[in-house]
Amino acid sequence: MSRPATALAAVVSAALLAAPGLFAATGAPVPVHLGVIAEEPNEPDRMLRAYGETVARLRERLAPVDVAMGDLVVARDLDDLSQRLVRGDVDFVIETVFPTLVLQERSRSLDPALVAVRRGQRAYRSVFFTRRDAPYRTLADLRGHTLVLQALRSTSAFALPKAEMARAGITVLPSDDPHAGRNDVRYVLAGAEINQAIWVLQGKGDAGAFNEGDWAALPEKVRAQLRIFHETRPIVRGLLSFRTGLAAGVRTKVEEALLALDDDEAGRAALSRASELTRFERLTAADRRELRGWAPILRPSRSR
Amino acid sequence: MRLGGIGTRYAVWIAALAFALVSTTLVAAAFLAFRESRVVQSEIHAAVAAARTADEEEALRKTATYLGAALFNALYQLDVERLNEEIAQVRAWLPVRSFLVIDRTGHVLTDGTPANEHYGEAPPGPWPEGGPRGFQLARLGKETEIRFAIASGGVTAGWGVVTLREGPWQASLRLLEERTSAMWAGHRASLLTLGAAAFAVTLGLGLLTAVALSRSLARPLTEMSRAAGEIASGNLDHPLTLESTDELGDLARALNRMAGDLRVHEEALRAERADLAAKNAELERFTYTVSHDLKSPLVTIRGFAGLAGTDLASGDLARVRQDLGRIVAAADKMHRLLDDLLELSRVGRVVHPPEDVPLADLAREAVELVKGQLGQNLVVVDIAPDLPVVRADRRRLLEALQNLVENAAKFAAGRPDPRVTVGARQDGDERVFFVRDNGRGIEPRFLERVFDLFEKLDPAVEGTGVGLALVRRIVEAHGGRVWAESEGLGHGATFCFTLPRA
Repeated sequence: MSRPATALAAVVSAALLAAPGLFAATGAPVPVHLGVIAEEPNEPDRMLRAYGETVARLRERLAPVDVAMGDLVVARDLDDLSQRLVRGDVDFVIETVFPTLVLQERSRSLDPALVAVRRGQRAYRSVFFTRRDAPYRTLADLRGHTLVLQALRSTSAFALPKAEMARAGITVLPSDDPHAGRNDVRYVLAGAEINQAIWVLQGKGDAGAFNEGDWAALPEKVRAQLRIFHETRPIVRGLLSFRTGLAAGVRTKVEEALLALDDDEAGRAALSRASELTRFERLTAADRRELRGWAPILRPSRSR
Repeated sequence: MRLGGIGTRYAVWIAALAFALVSTTLVAAAFLAFRESRVVQSEIHAAVAAARTADEEEALRKTATYLGAALFNALYQLDVERLNEEIAQVRAWLPVRSFLVIDRTGHVLTDGTPANEHYGEAPPGPWPEGGPRGFQLARLGKETEIRFAIASGGVTAGWGVVTLREGPWQASLRLLEERTSAMWAGHRASLLTLGAAAFAVTLGLGLLTAVALSRSLARPLTEMSRAAGEIASGNLDHPLTLESTDELGDLARALNRMAGDLRVHEEALRAERADLAAKNAELERFTYTVSHDLKSPLVTIRGFAGLAGTDLASGDLARVRQDLGRIVAAADKMHRLLDDLLELSRVGRVVHPPEDVPLADLAREAVELVKGQLGQNLVVVDIAPDLPVVRADRRRLLEALQNLVENAAKFAAGRPDPRVTVGARQDGDERVFFVRDNGRGIEPRFLERVFDLFEKLDPAVEGTGVGLALVRRIVEAHGGRVWAESEGLGHGATFCFTLPRA
């Protein structure tokens, strides 16, 4: 086979291989879907309203490059989203680090690609706080006491504090876990950051943990009665991950569209409505190393 | 437009009357409308306020009961975020100024705002118990405060304190007040606009009335006043032109008649005055002439009387007889003069009734009277056959013709073919009678003087100089004119006269 013929064959083969991912049997582009998890399981409309503009802007930008943007997929919870990833109903996901790692483990088909910058923060950290007059100075001081966290799926107000405790060699268990020992730390879930602060002040817990942004947002009178006694290392604010089965060409075009979304006012406004996102940035090698470092600790198999 | 004098006064009075009527009506209407509006507004407020106050309290009690139950779970679980969401919802449908959730220790847990500035504060009690009686309501000026227990199943988790800026029904009343006040303001503005328009219309009507009055009443009166002034100053040639049939028209017509009568009288007076002046002048001339011409024979008589005395003393009787002859001649002349003067005075004083007189017959009669003189001088007289009949004092007219023929014969005498013609000619629409001679003629400068008393152009000619003066007096007494025509010496003379038509 001559060299031109070989090149032609390679092009044809590549096109045939790429075709299923790009076109349906009729030749029309197969739509790609963004997946998110509803903050309230029974209220998917909140997410539809929040992300509707972003999906619309993506649809505009992907149409010229022959990529169809499908409707937003709002999953009830992590399991639901994981199953949709496996079925190929969802092609890319925006979530914080902890849920992303869970989905990655459960679906075995998720690849983090971009950092989701939120409220201008590319990375954040969690802080441990207690009442100003409480005696706790280190994480170890919390042994045998109660930590007020937010919710199981929260990264900064559950997974990260829990992982930080684990790195300190402290086991964190639910408050009603019958196996909890005297040196373990029990946790209760307050459901919201403001509740965590109030519960600590009202004595329903001895300390709380959430991210530094939540600390800054506390009412002045509330924050004045609390103090921070520990901080974690920073972690990326959010991640955008692709289904590994997505065609590379399509993924590249979607990535480019996402990275350019904050180029104009309409795109920035759409991102702002979507959980106060600022922009997307490429995941750096350092980011990936940091994620690999956290992964074993954050994965839910390590928690109960 | 005239706005002076009587017109202004009428206009001002009527305009003021119209304005007062309209203004009074408007003010009365506005007062009634204002009063009724306020009464209706007050009654609506009172009725709504009475009906709604009870409703409002009941509604607030139900609201407090609902909130006490709705907030219980969140407060019981210390779920501040949910409490804030609930408070936000309440703020959406009630005019909440502040909303405090108090925990069981009596301290503020949240005020529903992100800043939560009231956190930890301890508002003063008392706090209501749970259950149906767990509700307190207080009026704080315009604001209303409700306190209620956040309780369930006999457990009180805390309390809620809600301060409403104004109750819903108060808001309704305020809205009603605002609406009715706006309506009232609009009503008042409309009335003011109407009043302004009525004022303008009244003013306009007043002005129109002033103009109309000035034209219909003041102008005629002023015109009549002006006309009366003109009449008083003697100017009677500007009649009033009023065509109205009312009293003003009658007055104007009476003024016009009065001016006409005055004009006639004045013209008559002027004519009489002129006539009198002419007569005075004539009398002066007459007096002068008479005194002069009568004096002449007296001087002659006196002179020859003196000579007669001298001649008598010298015994020259022949000369005495000559002197006496001269005296007698002068006395005769004086006698003729006085006879002629007497005759002249009779003309115009002694008047005979007018009658139809065939002028040709009269001319022949006149010629007959002077036949002796004519025959002596071989004068031929021609009388035109077509002379008309005139209406006149026959004797005087005969006297005039006789003098004219006699005068013509005197001046025709001595000519180669002395001839006198009595005739008539038509000058325009005027019939002119004439007596023409072919005598020596008259210089143009003497044509006027020939009719003066005692005027004799040629002293050698016989006569007293009264004849032509008598002719003029008779013709003018008939209303006619008399004049002399001549192309100069040697061309004869024509004496013309006219008479009014019979």
